Amino acid sequence: MIRLIFKKELKELFRTAKVVWMLGGIIVLLLLALYNGNSYYENHSTLIRESQEMTYQQFISQGDKNPHLGAHFGFYAYKPTADMAMIENGIEDYTGNSFYLEPHKRGVVKFKEISDATGLRSFGFLNIGYLAQFILPLFIFLICHNIFSKEWENGTIKMLLSSKASARQIFMGKLLSCLTLVMALVLFIALSSLILFAKEHHTAGLLNRVLPAFTCYLLGLSLFAAMMTTIGVSVSLLTRNANLSLIVLYGFWLIGVFLLPRLAGELSKNIHPAMTSLEFENQTFNEKQYGVGNEGHKDVRREKLLQQTMQQYQVKRIEDLPVFFIPITIEFFEESDAAVMDRAYKAVDDNEARQDRLVLSSAWLTPFLAFRDFSMRITATDMDTHNDFTAKAEIHRRKIGVIVDDYYQKNTVAGNAFWKTVPQFAYTAPGIGWRLSHAAGSIFILLGWTLFSIGLMVYAYRKLTV
Amino acid sequence: MKVSVIRILLKHELRILSRNKVLLSLSTLIIFILLSALWIGSSMLRKQEQTISKIQSSEREMLDSLKTRIRRVEANHMVYPGFIWDDPTFAYNTARNEGPNYAIKRPFPLQALNVGQSDVQPFYYKVYLNKKQYLTFESEIENSFLQFIGNFDFAFVVIYLFPLLIIVFSYNVLSSEKEQGTWVLLKTSNQSLAQMMICRIVIRYILFTGFFWLLVTPVLIASIGSNFLFSANWQWIVAGVSLYFAFWFALALLVNSFSLTSNVNAMVLIFIWLFTGIIIPNLLQIGLNKIYPIPSRIDMLTAERDAINKYFEKDGQELTKSVFSSPRTMIRQASIVTPGMVYGYGVIVYKSQEIKDQAAAVAEEKLYAQIRKQQEGIRRFQLLSPALMMQEELAALTGSHWYQFNQFSNDAATFRKKSQQFYYPKMASESTYRSFTLKDADAIPRFQPRVYADFSWINIRQNFCIYLGIIVFLSFIGYRRLLEAKK
Repeated sequence: MIRLIFKKELKELFRTAKVVWMLGGIIVLLLLALYNGNSYYENHSTLIRESQEMTYQQFISQGDKNPHLGAHFGFYAYKPTADMAMIENGIEDYTGNSFYLEPHKRGVVKFKEISDATGLRSFGFLNIGYLAQFILPLFIFLICHNIFSKEWENGTIKMLLSSKASARQIFMGKLLSCLTLVMALVLFIALSSLILFAKEHHTAGLLNRVLPAFTCYLLGLSLFAAMMTTIGVSVSLLTRNANLSLIVLYGFWLIGVFLLPRLAGELSKNIHPAMTSLEFENQTFNEKQYGVGNEGHKDVRREKLLQQTMQQYQVKRIEDLPVFFIPITIEFFEESDAAVMDRAYKAVDDNEARQDRLVLSSAWLTPFLAFRDFSMRITATDMDTHNDFTAKAEIHRRKIGVIVDDYYQKNTVAGNAFWKTVPQFAYTAPGIGWRLSHAAGSIFILLGWTLFSIGLMVYAYRKLTV
Repeated sequence: MKVSVIRILLKHELRILSRNKVLLSLSTLIIFILLSALWIGSSMLRKQEQTISKIQSSEREMLDSLKTRIRRVEANHMVYPGFIWDDPTFAYNTARNEGPNYAIKRPFPLQALNVGQSDVQPFYYKVYLNKKQYLTFESEIENSFLQFIGNFDFAFVVIYLFPLLIIVFSYNVLSSEKEQGTWVLLKTSNQSLAQMMICRIVIRYILFTGFFWLLVTPVLIASIGSNFLFSANWQWIVAGVSLYFAFWFALALLVNSFSLTSNVNAMVLIFIWLFTGIIIPNLLQIGLNKIYPIPSRIDMLTAERDAINKYFEKDGQELTKSVFSSPRTMIRQASIVTPGMVYGYGVIVYKSQEIKDQAAAVAEEKLYAQIRKQQEGIRRFQLLSPALMMQEELAALTGSHWYQFNQFSNDAATFRKKSQQFYYPKMASESTYRSFTLKDADAIPRFQPRVYADFSWINIRQNFCIYLGIIVFLSFIGYRRLLEAKK
């Protein structure tokens, strides 16, 4: 019986002109999203790859220089474009991708592409991720909103209920027909994305990194799409009125996609306000200059270091030291300043994590945000992956500092032979296990919404009476 | 149409609107949202003003501290007791430490209505001699994830949410009459049906827009004062937003005139909202990025670094040798920082920066030229999307458009040049090394902060007239179709 209803509904859907038009429209948008995402990936990944090579070449071929001056020339650690950025670029353009590896200055990731984008960017960036999070749910709602209400409006509900089919079978038949259409789109997304991945990645990378993450992404997308379809069909049944059903679903979409995340964002900014750059700068300067706790002023610490160094080498004058003192001070303050900067950045990161948690908690009111968060985390285009990159780049920066200062203690000129001993930076985003563990919050919320949609479905088909 | 009929229609409209529970609930929700947006906008404005005030007080403290320290050194026979790199009588040290001043963009009060670019563009720069602000600036400490989610401001509510309310307000003006069976009754009336429908839509528009401004204006006066009321910016905002609402009402009239069912009307209007508000801007973005790709700032870095490497192959090497190998500077000693060493670093930094600035200027111009071309493209095609046009106009009228931030950035660059011209001769003065005096501290260039709210570049009159024309055209077609519908 379910199969009969399913066949009838599917046939009806394909015979409805507006559904066919919508389907055509969304396929065109899908193709555009694939094209746009692929262009984005190709341009960005090539630029970053070449620039990483270029910046290092510039560093190791800078010629003879004072080691410290040469270290200040430094080079950049660029965040590689995420493997799956062609389908989802998440917050990539909002974080920046360039980390300056320079002595005694904690690096900050710079060059947020969004700063150079026009106002058009506030309307979103069309790729598969955007389509799945914004357009697909609306498409689902437009298809499902009258799947039941039309029976009341056409007066066919009594006929349907007087048939042999039970309420559950009727519901399942209609739900499955909508799901078939929706899952066909998901399958289209899966196949076309796979073609792009295969084109852009070599086999090992594809099998080891991309496929496990993409499988998880597809599972999440399928769950999300099925949940949206179930909600759409259930609301259609509960309202029994196509207009009301459309307004309710459209409102749910609008609130979930645009309103609630933004409102939660503003709320989190007010509840956990960020310090201003000026305050950050003043605080870190004071802590570095005047010390924390009993550390004392920088001049006092420098003098103490001199005394210790002279004692270590058993000399009485700085001029008699067998090593140069300036690199020793640089290394010493690199460590103490790093502790100040680590504390300050940790405070900023912790505050941002609190803000993010508050925003994510609003996903209990809207599944769209939970799916967006899941999508970014699985594709490694989220804040946690960015922080992981920053942490690794900072470790590399300090490593370079130690190498240069050790050399500087005995040499005042460094040539290309020395610069080549400084290692290049390379970053690979964490694997799928790490990503899944970081996405646990959003997965949990998505599962909660799945339970809700199942509950709503059961409640709705029990109401299937005239 | 007679006034008495209009009066009856007005009463009728008020009654049915007040009895529509969905509409009332939605209106209450959106009013709450609108008030929240205004409160959030004005809080952001206040926060910016507070930050600017803190910056100015910090600048004053810095100058006082600098002068006190110079006075102390001068009184102590030019002996500086602390670390040599902190000695303020070296121009290079002052240029790095207390010297850099801030370039500030004062927020325009109406910025409370629209965040625009102000969350991704800095409204102040600390202007360093040896750092180009476009390569170093970071705006305020902002959470990238929250930036990605987007802002919740008046502009967002007007552009995205109000069309929804208008759709709910007007999608079934005619179709509901048919669905409820009152259409036949209406046809027996001796009044023109087309005129009655137009009148109903106009009444709804006036009620809607009037109520909107009656709510917004006092709240705005309470949050940012009343000075804005007399500015041309505000008058254009009122005109532009009212026209935007009129567009959606005219569209609803047109869609209604096709005599489709209420459900199809709603779907068509939602589709138009989606198409013009999201899909067209996205398509435009794809097209403009393809035609005028914006180069990455990484290209500027690469250009700068290439130039500096080339410079150090010959001239830079010679300069380094002459400065650092001099017995006076004792750079190769590397245990004690000598005055000559501070001077030497100053000279190298100054020369290198000149080279870097020249090299980056080409890449910089390329970047901004592409952004300008994209902006020009948006201006040309914005008429395709009322949401985009509204966003661009609101940004320009509230002083938060890219152009205004770009003007500010240019002013900051000019100020940086002025500061360089002030410090460089003092940094390169080899005779004493320590050339910075109390008089110099008073003469450090300062940036004159100003408001950037000029909007003469957006052709607002032309856009207004074109959209008015579109609305009149849509209404006229709708009216003609309604005349047909009577038959």
